[in-house]
Formats: sequence, structure tokens, C-alpha cells
Amino acid sequence: MSASPKPELRRSVTPWGSFSWGYSDVGADIFIGLGLVLAAAAGATNVAFLFAGVVYVCIGLAYTELAAAYPVAGGGQYFVLRGLGDIFGFIAGWAVLLDFTIDITIFAWTAIDYLSQLIPVLVGSTHPWTHFTLTLALIMALCLLNVIGVRESTAFQGFVSALDILSETCILFFGFLFAFRPDLLIHTMRVDWPSPSNLMLGMSLAIISFVGLESISQAAQETQRPASIIPRTSVALILTILIYALAYSNLALGFVPWHPIVDPQGHPVSFWQIFPASYPGGSDNQGKAVALLAAQVPYFGALAAFYVPVLGAVLLTISSNSGVFGSSRIAYAMSSTNLLPSVFQRVHPRYRTPMISILAFCGVAVFELVFAAMPSLDPNAVALYDRFFHGESGLDFLADLYAFGAATSYSFVFLALIALRLADPLSPRKFKIPFNIPMTFRGERVEFPIVGVLGFIGIFSILLFTLQTHPLGRIFGPSWLLVGIVLYFIYRRRKQLPILRSQHRDWRKAQAEILRNAGELELMDEYVANVKASDERRAKAGAS
Amino acid sequence: MIAYRAFLAAATAIVGTIIAIRMLAYGIRLETLPGIVLGAAMIGLGAHRLSLIVRARRSAP
Repeated sequence: MSASPKPELRRSVTPWGSFSWGYSDVGADIFIGLGLVLAAAAGATNVAFLFAGVVYVCIGLAYTELAAAYPVAGGGQYFVLRGLGDIFGFIAGWAVLLDFTIDITIFAWTAIDYLSQLIPVLVGSTHPWTHFTLTLALIMALCLLNVIGVRESTAFQGFVSALDILSETCILFFGFLFAFRPDLLIHTMRVDWPSPSNLMLGMSLAIISFVGLESISQAAQETQRPASIIPRTSVALILTILIYALAYSNLALGFVPWHPIVDPQGHPVSFWQIFPASYPGGSDNQGKAVALLAAQVPYFGALAAFYVPVLGAVLLTISSNSGVFGSSRIAYAMSSTNLLPSVFQRVHPRYRTPMISILAFCGVAVFELVFAAMPSLDPNAVALYDRFFHGESGLDFLADLYAFGAATSYSFVFLALIALRLADPLSPRKFKIPFNIPMTFRGERVEFPIVGVLGFIGIFSILLFTLQTHPLGRIFGPSWLLVGIVLYFIYRRRKQLPILRSQHRDWRKAQAEILRNAGELELMDEYVANVKASDERRAKAGAS
Repeated sequence: MIAYRAFLAAATAIVGTIIAIRMLAYGIRLETLPGIVLGAAMIGLGAHRLSLIVRARRSAP
């Protein structure tokens, strides 16, 4: 009896589908990031976004090159596994899993925040139990939908992305045309420049506006001819996200609201000043910054005030869902390479979905939600949080962990990019990051990526900023990694697999298989020819 | 559809140019740098999309 073929993902995602897939993941981040960074970095918000944005462009280019060369769904953890080995692949994947669980919670949380702009009973500070219950219900509903295998269609995702791009373009167009004053921007930057610590905090928070590039590699697995399509759509995606982040941050600092904003004492305040926690309702405002800005844009604001909160909530819910879906998929991929126990590959007998993974990581997300919401739900917890966690909770806690997970996993991806350029020069790269130094490494001509080094320095400094300025991030982030590493050691020991070293894998065979499955037959032929030529060169060198 | 996309790409590049010029009017310094980069990124995106459209038109039968 012949063995049944291993089920594979259908490659049916179009270029627009690939773009919208990434956009609905990364594009929603600015809905959270803007308010948090305005609260932290004040007059240097745009500089914080610029720094994080430059690093993000480097990360985006690295993902584009790697996803086009290795079009598999494992994403960052697969690249790291391949470039640096099992243990580092596990750490990167475990950090990505932390981000996906935070994804679930933070996007569900802010989806409710955006709705609270229209429904005041949902405001977190005044109705904490309602906010908490609805966020929890949203997470449970997404968990259930994923277990029974219902996922929003690519067409719906594409429609929401298109509507969001149109809306954001209108907000920025009308905003820059009627409400932006460059002299006010420069004045705000001079007068309200933050302390170095707050600037570092702002930069580390700004990176959360650019999280979700795993979707590029996930889309690569399901796109026909990914080596050609992914670079095209990724470059557009990277630039679009960068433009929105820079545009919002510049606009917010030089913004003249349509209707003057006054504080409770009746004094006029600038737009960015309604976000720090010291401003009444500032913490609530942080979770719905784009809706607040849209409502204050001249003319367009009359319409935007009503539908942008709903649009934001829908986009954020899709992103929360991508957290549920993505965590189960990454866990599945890690399990198939013996980085996690095989229980994470177990599928529901009826729905054929990775139920254990979904339930496990939604459980972690619920735990994070409870921890984040506790001080607002139970006044007795406030003293405890003040004593041990510098009083941080809510969105701040979630953002702390989000920044830590992203900075950690992205740091490893840069190292993997450099390692793979050196160790695997034979794989054809249809897209290659520019600015490389040609050199010879172990008898092969390779190109050393300068951008990879610069990107690593940038993201590693963001990781250091996160550890320096996030009281909870520096406790819970490393703790998450430590717990994961201990579990990894126990699992590998039980399975009698090498603990610190890597399992032997035939990467050449795997690469040819990957390219064949992706429909990149020309690249597969090129790869096979490269391998053959390399072997011949080595044999000749050995003989002489 | 292709005309609409070309229009959007050209508009992005033009708006980027306007933003960059408005910021450059205040000189090149830290305060204007994010705005200049924003303008440059918009010009880049517009040009990238236009080049894709031109390539698609050339390769069309």
C-alpha cells in the first residue's frame, strides 16, 4: 500500500492577496503604536518612528530575501533554524510565539478600545469589567472559530485592507492639506523634546508598529511563484507601512485640530498632549489614537468620526485572529522540526485543525489579558503592581512584551540572514538586499550583507532600549524565554535528540523540494546546477 | 483599472514631492528629517508602482 502524500497548503494567493495578507497584519499596528509612542516620546514621536522605520525597512528586506529564497510557512524560526541551528531556531520561534499570543490579546483589547469611541460604556477606565469581559469574549470567539476551521476569506481581508488604505490615505490627505503646519511641528519638537529615557522608550514602542512580517513568509508558502511575487508585493508593503507611520507621527505633532481640544480646566492643549497617562483619559486615548485623529481632520472628520472606529475594530480583530492562526501554525512548524513536542501537530479529528496549539496559545493570551487587566478590575492589586511592576499594567504591559518578542526574534533573523549568505550561497536569490561585500568563504563566492549588519545593530539597540526602559518587559520577556528553553531541554532529552547541537538534516534535498513545491522549477534547476558545479569544484580542489 | 493604479502611483509621488519640498523649506535638520524621509518614501513608492505598471504593460501581449 502506498503512503498517502503529506497534505500541503494550496498555492492560490494572488499578488494583491499576498499584499493584503501582510497589510492586514502589519497595517493594523499603527492603530496601537501611534498613541503609545505619542505618550512616551512626545515631541520626538516622528524621530522615534523614523529610527524604528529604518530598522523595519532592513527587517522587511531581510524577510523578503529569505521568504523568496526559502518559501516555507515557518517564517523567522525556519530561517534561524536553517542558518544558526536548532537551539537558536527554537529561541527565535519561541519569541515569535510570545508575540503571537500578545497579538491575540493586544489587538482584541484595542478593537474594544476603538469601539469605545462610539460606545462610551466600553471605555476601559470607567467600565473595566465590561471592557475585560468583551475582550475575553472576543478572544474566546476567535479561538472557537479557529478550532472549527472558519477563517476570514482572502477576499474579505483584501476588501478590509483596500478600505483601510483608502481611509488612511484620505485622513492623511485631508490632514496634511488642511490641518498640518510645519512650523508647529518644528515648535513642538523643540519645546516638547523628551528625556533620553523617554526617547528610548518611544523608539522601543515604535517597533510594535512594524510587527507582523512573519506574514510575508506565511504568504510565501501559499503564493504561486513566490520568488517572483513576494519581492514585488513586499517592497510595496514595506514602503506603504513606513509611509503611514511617518505620516501619522509628523501629522500628529504639527496637527491643528478641526475643533479646539481643551483640558478639564478649559485650557487649550495640542493634539499629542491628550495621550500621556497624566492627561485625564490619556490611557484610554492611547488605544484609539487613529480614530481620535481622524475625527479631528477638517471636513473628512465628519464622516471619519463614525466609521474609522468600526473599521479600526474590524482590522484589529482580523489581526487578533492572525495571532490565533499564526501561533498555531508556527507551533505546528516547530513541532515538525522537533523543536516542540508532536502534540502541537495533533489535529482535531473532525475539523482537521491544530486544536491543541490553538487552545494552548489562546490560554496564554487569556492569562496575559487577566494579568494586564487585573489592577483595573481589583483595586487591591494596584498596590501589588506598584510595588513589584512599577505600576505598569494594561496596554503598557502588553506593549512591553510585544516589543521584547519582536526585537528578539528580528535580531535572530538578521543573524540568520548573514549566516545563510555565508553557509548557503548556492540557493538562488531572486531578490537580494543591496549593498553587499563580495568575498570568498569556505571556497565559495559569497556576498556579505552590510544592511544585515546595520539592521542587526538597529534592532539589537531596540532590544536593549526595551530591557532598559520597560520594567515588565525585562522581567517577563526573558522569563518567557527561560521557561521555553527549560521545556526545550526536557523535550529534547526525552526524545534523545541533541540538546545544544542540531539534528542532522539534508538541507540540499530539502531546498530542491521547497523550490519544486513552490512551482519555481527554473530556480530548482539553477540550484541543482549550482550544487553540482560546487561539488565538482571541491572535488577538483581536493584532487589537486 | 491600470489607469486608476497609475494615477494613484503618480499622485503618491507628487504628494511626496510636495511634502519633501515643504519640509526642505525649513532646511535640513533633525526636526525636518522625518518629513523629508516621508516625502522620499512616497516618491519611492510611487516610482516603484509606476515601474511595475510599465513593466506589466510591456510584457502584456
